[in-house]
Amino acid sequence: MSMRSQVYEWANLSTSGNFMLRRGLNATAVAVPVDREISVFTGQYGNNITKPAETTATQFVVIEDLAASAYVGGAVQVVINTTSYFQNPDVTQQAGVPGTASPYPRGSSDTVTGTATASNVDNGVQLLNAFELTPDVYVLPGQVWDMRYSQSLSNVSADNGALGVTGSTLAVAAFVKYTLYDGPDALIANKLLELGVTVNPNNVDWYKRTLIEQQSAAASAAAAAAAGGAQ
Amino acid sequence: MRSQVYEWDAARTNVSGTEMTTTQFGSALSIFVGGFGNNITKPAETTATQFCVIEDIAVTPSAFTMNAGDIAGGSSYRGLPTGPTTQDSTGIAGPRAYVQIRINTTDYFLDPDNVGNDGVPGTASPYPRSVNFQPCFNLYPDVYVLPGQTWDVRVTAYQSNNYTAGDLSAGDLQCFVKYTLYDGPDALIANKLLEMGISVNPGNVDWYKRTLIQSQGM
Repeated sequence: MSMRSQVYEWANLSTSGNFMLRRGLNATAVAVPVDREISVFTGQYGNNITKPAETTATQFVVIEDLAASAYVGGAVQVVINTTSYFQNPDVTQQAGVPGTASPYPRGSSDTVTGTATASNVDNGVQLLNAFELTPDVYVLPGQVWDMRYSQSLSNVSADNGALGVTGSTLAVAAFVKYTLYDGPDALIANKLLELGVTVNPNNVDWYKRTLIEQQSAAASAAAAAAAGGAQ
Repeated sequence: MRSQVYEWDAARTNVSGTEMTTTQFGSALSIFVGGFGNNITKPAETTATQFCVIEDIAVTPSAFTMNAGDIAGGSSYRGLPTGPTTQDSTGIAGPRAYVQIRINTTDYFLDPDNVGNDGVPGTASPYPRSVNFQPCFNLYPDVYVLPGQTWDVRVTAYQSNNYTAGDLSAGDLQCFVKYTLYDGPDALIANKLLEMGISVNPGNVDWYKRTLIQSQGM
C-alpha cells in the first residue's frame, strides 16, 4: 500500500467507564491520574485501540508530529520498545513534549479559567507551537511503539482548585501524525536509513527514480552491446 | 489540470433535499452522496482519462473544555457550542468531527491496529481555519485517485448533545476538500510520473512536458 499519511487522536472521553474502543456518541471526560504516563493506544483511559501499535516486518513508521492539551501540565512522550525518546540532559526520565510547546489544538488557550456561568477554558491566548519534531522519529520493522500522555495537575476540579469550578472534569487530548511505509516502500525506507538519508516521501520517490534510471541505463547499454555484436 | 474544491455544509439541502440532524451523528456520511447536506448527483469517480490528486481535507474543529459542574450549557467557546441550555456543558465544544477518505472500498486512514478509523480530526485540520483553530496536519503525501476509481470523503461527528435536537444550522458542521483534477494528456503524464516514482503535482507535470518538448528538439 505504498506510503500513507496517518493520524491518531486520543482524548479522555468515554461513554461508560474509563475507556472505550474507538469512539462513541456523546462521550464525557474521565479523570486521568496525575504524574503517570498513559498509553494513548491501550492505556485504558479515553478512546483506545485493540492492541499496542507495532510495525510488521514489512512496515516502517515515521512519526512526524505530536501534540497534547496545553492545560494541567499535559505532555506527550514517545516510547520505542521500552525506551523513552525524550530524556533529561542527565539521561533521566521526563514527561516528554509539553502541551504548551506543542499545543493541541493549535491556537488553544494555555490555561483553564473556569467561571460559574460559561464553559471557559479561555484566557484569550492563542498558543502556537514552539516545538517541531525534527528530525522525525523512526519506528523500524518489528518494533513496538507507543505515545504516552501525562499531566502534572489533576483534570478534576475537586482535586485542582485552579480549574475554578466545582464538580467538573476537564477534557484533555493528544495527537500524533505519522507516515506509514508499507511493502516495497518500507524496504526503500530501510535502504535510505542505511544510506543515512532522511526517510520522507520525497526521498523514497528519489530512490525509486534512481533505481529506474539505473535499470534504464543498464538496458540501454545491453541493447547497444547487442547491436555492436551483431555488426 | 485544474485546481478544484468542494465544500459541504450539513445544513444545506442542494440535491439531497435534506438537512442533517443530530440523529445522523455517530455515522459516517458521504459529503457527495450521503443524503444529507449539500450533495451532488452521483459518486465522485475518475474516468479512464482523469487522474485526481487530493491535496487537503478539513472539517469543523472542536475544543476540549470542562464538563458538568457549575458550567452551564447553552454558551459557546470560541464560536463552538458547548451544549443546549437544558443541560450542563458536555466537555467538548463543537461537533467532535472527523473526515476520512475512501478510495473504492478502502479507507485511507487506519488506526495503528490496522482498523479503519474515523479519519483526520477537525481539531487537527480545522475548517474554517482561524487564529483559535490552526492546522497541525497536512495531507502529505497527497492521495492519488487513479483512472477509473471511485472516491469519497466521509464525515463522522460524535457530539450530538451540543446541538438542539433537529436540523443543524449553517456552519455547525462543514467539510472542505481541495484536489487537482488532471484530464486528457495531463492525466497520461500524471500516470507516467506515478510509474517513474515522481510526485504528481502541476510543477512536475509541466516539467515532464518541457522534457518531452526538449527531447523533440523544439
